[in-house]
Amino acid sequence: MQPELERELIRKCKAGDARFYEPLVRAYEPSGLRLAVAMMGNTEDAQDALQEAFIKTYDSLQRFDLRRPFGPWFFQILRNQCRDMLRGRKAKFKVEALDEDLEQRPADAERGPERTRQRNAARDVLWRGLERIGTEHREILVLKELEGFRYAEIAQILEIPEGTVASRLYHARHALRDALVEMNVEHP
Amino acid sequence: MSEPTPSDDLMRYLDGELGPEERARVEAALERSTELQRELAIFRALKTDFQELSFHPGSHRRSVWDDVNVRVTRPLGWVFLTVGAAIWMAYGVYVFATTPADPWEKLATGAVAIGILMLLASVIVERYREAATDPYRDVQR
Repeated sequence: MQPELERELIRKCKAGDARFYEPLVRAYEPSGLRLAVAMMGNTEDAQDALQEAFIKTYDSLQRFDLRRPFGPWFFQILRNQCRDMLRGRKAKFKVEALDEDLEQRPADAERGPERTRQRNAARDVLWRGLERIGTEHREILVLKELEGFRYAEIAQILEIPEGTVASRLYHARHALRDALVEMNVEHP
Repeated sequence: MSEPTPSDDLMRYLDGELGPEERARVEAALERSTELQRELAIFRALKTDFQELSFHPGSHRRSVWDDVNVRVTRPLGWVFLTVGAAIWMAYGVYVFATTPADPWEKLATGAVAIGILMLLASVIVERYREAATDPYRDVQR
């Protein structure tokens, strides 16, 4: 979504018209769901977290500074929501079989069942590796590798200095690599 | 702020976060160190694996918008309801107080109204307390 359009929508939402919130929700839902699934481990808890995050975001819009990008701010709220739910009784990170519609990419179907099976196997191994590392490592990997945020954005989302992002990523990647080695998955 | 370590630089190199000068410095370090080259190869392989992990929510998955919409617009409904009810109640009290009637009649009617309001308030408070401790509150019907 164009930043100018995004700002205009937020301006209208701030003025109290909730109808203009729908395009924002629909624009950020797919990437939000990806982050939430990766943090929560299952789609059901992820959707709950996502829904709560969108509501909290709307309730906090009055405090939102329009000069800043909306995405990292929303992901910061979503990340905190996931962490709260993981801390509480609502959910524990546990990899569950993902829904078919979440796993399947259009390209997979075109490449045939063998390619799909291989891709699913690789994905399964990574999910299990992610399950073995801590939340702190998992969230920074998801933000970088799945969502492709820049370091400055990750720093804002995780509320840490930008200089810390590289070292956190280094430790997270090492932790994941160690987890995969423990699972007998070979890397160069 | 502390100086970036070689491992920090390696991460920033891998993620395309370095300027041309810093890139050249890291590439020179990579040429000198097989250990650094090995680490970079491992992290590159992990990055590729993550491309496999990436997924796209299906188009037929139900959007959370409907639930979000209900929740964000509900408070406005409560505001209108509360303001409207308060105006009607104030008007009712005014009419009741200014209407010439037997004091016993006013006393009895007032007691009935107060009783109903007290019962209603106690039910709301009880439901609110129950909802806060209900272990099944998140179970969808």
